[in-house]
Order: sequence, then C-alpha cells, then structure tokens
Amino acid sequence: MADVREDILVRLHAILATIPNVRSAQRNNGDITEDQLPAAILFDGDEDTDDASDASMRQPYRPTMVTMTPEIVLAQQSAEAGSDLTTLRRELIKRVLTDTALNETIVKTGRNGNGAIRYLGCQTDFGDGRSLTGSLLARFLFKYALKPDEL
Amino acid sequence: MPDAFGAPLYGPVYAGIGVPATFNAVAITVIDDTRPVTNQTGTRPGSNQGGNGEVRSVGPGAYARIPELTAAGIARDDYIDASLSFNGRTWTVRSYELRGNPNGEDAGEVRFLLKAADVG
Repeated sequence: MADVREDILVRLHAILATIPNVRSAQRNNGDITEDQLPAAILFDGDEDTDDASDASMRQPYRPTMVTMTPEIVLAQQSAEAGSDLTTLRRELIKRVLTDTALNETIVKTGRNGNGAIRYLGCQTDFGDGRSLTGSLLARFLFKYALKPDEL
Repeated sequence: MPDAFGAPLYGPVYAGIGVPATFNAVAITVIDDTRPVTNQTGTRPGSNQGGNGEVRSVGPGAYARIPELTAAGIARDDYIDASLSFNGRTWTVRSYELRGNPNGEDAGEVRFLLKAADVG
C-alpha cells in the first residue's frame, strides 16, 4: 500500500513542527488560542488530475499524474507580527522545497522521478487582538504519480 | 472596583446549575454548555461554505470561573489538552474562549471548547 497524498501531508505536518519558534503545529485544526502562537496549521489540499481530457482506452488502474494543493497557515500575535510571519514563511518555504524525504522519497522530483513541488504564493491577513494578530496562508503544489494498483 | 460579578452573580448561577467536574484530577464546578453544531466538511475558516454535505453533531463546551481555577492551581497554560469530566462524560480541552467581565479578564469566566477524549 502506498498513498503518496497521505505521505506528503504527514511529512508536511512534521516539517511544520521543525520551524524555529513555532509553538503549535496543527493539521486541519483552525481553532487555536493565542497561547498556542506562533502556530503553523496544515490544511489538507484539494487533489486534481487531467484525466477528464483523457477518456482514452487506457486501463483505469494505470498510473496517472495528480496535483495536490495543500495550504499552510502561519499565525502570530505580536507587535511585529508582520516581520515574524515573514521569518516563519522563509523557514517554511526553505524546509518544504529542500526537504530530502519529500523530494527524493515521497514525491520523487528531479532525477528521482517526474514529480514536482512548487511554492505558489501566499496571502496575509491582519487584525487586532491583545496585540497585532496576523496570519499568512502559504500555498504549495505537489505533483506525483497516483498508482491505483498500489493503493 | 468591588467584586460585582464573582460572588453576587456567578455564585448563585453556579450554585444553581453548575455541576461538579474534574479538571486533570482537580475538582471544580462547571456549567455544561454543549451545543448542537453542523460541521461543513471541506471548508476552512474564512472560506466559502462548501457543498460537501453536512454532518450534524454537538459542540461540547463548559463554562468555568477563572478565579476558581486559579485558586485550584490551574493556570492558563494548563487549559489546552486538559482532561475535563462532568455529567458522566470525559472530554479533552481543544481550545477555549476567555469571557472577561468588568472586574477584569482574570475575574471572568472561560468557556472550554471540548472534543471527545478519544479523538487525537
């Protein structure tokens, strides 16, 4: 059994816990308190294929390429929330894009296979709480082979 | 400012509808505040509500008086992931809301947001 999607998400969650100063790394839990900040929250991503345009004679259980776009929210509350989030974003991007397990074992990018990992961008949002409160939503794309006969 | 909310207001309410509870083996009094909720799967905070169906459930919660917790040695850092038992069920504190009053944040209530104890 090999479920690349779950392997990616598990690894991403583990990576979030390694970001310096992150106090709480969550998966799909968007309800946190200020005491848990800075926090990094992974939301499982949508998964898409191009198979709608491939209604060919190909056997349905043959491998196909899929893309998943998980989202990671970084949240912080401080007078320098913007600067803090920029630092967390930098550490996040660096860790995800250069992670050996993701690139060489799970997604298999470059010389290891035809997968891909991309940073798509981010959006920020700020508000007032006990102190300036901000969040940064970073989006990534993972392209990998879905092999139905190995699921 | 004199204590206008602790003994005069919270006291009778908790004496009337409060139930004995155990917070990490410490005895306290809480008000059961379990509410019905509808979970919209496939959505996240701030996103448009999705059309992936609805799951009807309950949003378990409980109110407690922060001064009572403080007197029992329970600090704010102890809230998250604490075990809270009352009314025959045991829950885990997944989050909380502070409900300050005119006597101050630390004199008010906290609403514990709970999850089933066997949920990771």
